[in-house]
Amino acid sequence: MWDDILQFIDPVLNAGFIIGTVKAVVIAVGLLGIVPALVWLERRLMGRFQVRLGPNRVGPFGFGQPIADSIKLLFKESIIQSSADKFLFHLAPAIVVFTAIVTFAVIPFGEPLNVLGEEIGLWGANINSGLLFVFAISGMGVYGMVLAGLSSNNKYSLMGGLRSSAQMISYELTLGLSALSVIVLTGSLNLIDLVDSQKTIPYILVQPLAFLLFFIAGVAETNRAPFDLPEAEQELVAGFHTEYTGMKFAMFFMGEYVNMVTMSSLVTLLFLGGWNSYGLPLWPILAFAGKVFFLLCVFIWLRSTFPRLRYDRLMTFGWKFLLPICVFNLLITAVIKVLYFQ
Amino acid sequence: MFEITYEAVVFILGITAVLAAFGVILCASPIYCALYLIGNMICLAMLYLLYNAEFIAAVQIIVYAGAVMILFLFIIALLGGAKEIVEPSVQRSSAFTFVFLLFGELLLAAGVGPTKSISGNLEPDVIAAIGSAKVVGVELFSRHLVPFELASILLLIATVGIICLAKFSYLPARKQSK
Repeated sequence: MWDDILQFIDPVLNAGFIIGTVKAVVIAVGLLGIVPALVWLERRLMGRFQVRLGPNRVGPFGFGQPIADSIKLLFKESIIQSSADKFLFHLAPAIVVFTAIVTFAVIPFGEPLNVLGEEIGLWGANINSGLLFVFAISGMGVYGMVLAGLSSNNKYSLMGGLRSSAQMISYELTLGLSALSVIVLTGSLNLIDLVDSQKTIPYILVQPLAFLLFFIAGVAETNRAPFDLPEAEQELVAGFHTEYTGMKFAMFFMGEYVNMVTMSSLVTLLFLGGWNSYGLPLWPILAFAGKVFFLLCVFIWLRSTFPRLRYDRLMTFGWKFLLPICVFNLLITAVIKVLYFQ
Repeated sequence: MFEITYEAVVFILGITAVLAAFGVILCASPIYCALYLIGNMICLAMLYLLYNAEFIAAVQIIVYAGAVMILFLFIIALLGGAKEIVEPSVQRSSAFTFVFLLFGELLLAAGVGPTKSISGNLEPDVIAAIGSAKVVGVELFSRHLVPFELASILLLIATVGIICLAKFSYLPARKQSK
């Protein structure tokens, strides 16, 4: 009976159940472990960008700061408004973290390793429609924000939830279409195939416009500044998570940072050649991590450089500027591909 | 045994989908109705996945559960998700009659007999390729090209119509703001 269940879960590998479990745990724990480090990095870098020091008192270089912060958040009182919808109020942060981690399941971050005679791929799952899976699950993440806004029974939260849903729908189109122009070149939705087809030249050089559009839409999709309209502290008092305290608030935070890592990884896979190091003597996994780290720094750089957009301009920018360019770019790419490469 | 586990998973997912569908029509609060509908769509996507239709499953989640339902929630949030008061009325009883009629039809349909098997070239690799984006695309753009293009024109007309309807009503307000 047990064997049959194992066989059902992983018909290809049979014994792959244990490997799969280990991978899942490592990826989930690793991602959640990156979050405090990322918060530290962001605060330090932001400090430098704004010509101040940033947190530097707790431990060497302020390394103790994220630990102190997480302890503070864990022990804070969890306040729930009496008029809030309790079930949805608890559900919302769980959805945000869950979708953020599940999205990373199909992201490959290195060539397959050979451990004890067993070929182990450095990814949670290698599915044919990998890219579609990423878009599908990350699209579900917006429910966390919408439900948080709806269940809090607070006008600011509701506005934040509405904004996030509108923003996500608008920029998802740009994200998908700019990824499509890369898919037209590769002819595969599989993320590993995408990396393999960039062995000689990364797609950022072939499709610079698509890269730019994808990155802009990615920043909007992760709700980061300058597109952090759903939270907009000054006008909406932190938007959809106004009413959240303690660990539940921290879960929204975690979701945002994990999404940042996922988006950086996706940009790396689609446009920067994944783990191909192009002549540099680097381990594949280090090449991948380095590119992701660079993109994360760019995320932080953007946040400390640009002021927030006005809401109607955000929508106009998405629909009337980014989307037409995207469609045009896709059209040109498809025409060139059909005319010259077939 | 493998077949049994597979059938069990399909059965559990199907039951969950049916329960979620009942939740949509029986729940009083519109927010929860919408959530049940999302649950139902996710269950359907998982069923597609069990039948090897990866692409359809992803599209189901992206389009229906991702985009369409977000708009539903959007509208519920704007209109205010007040619970409806349950009181007997003519519409209610007629709705129940309709539901029972549908249920009867379903039973009739189930009574027709076992499902028929399909014929054709069914090599293992052909079966494995079913449901991938490529196969769906080739099928859509060859055999079903005309209906596909007609549907896209229909959608385009609907989009233009909506833009016209929405735009004319608030044109003066926009001029003022500029």
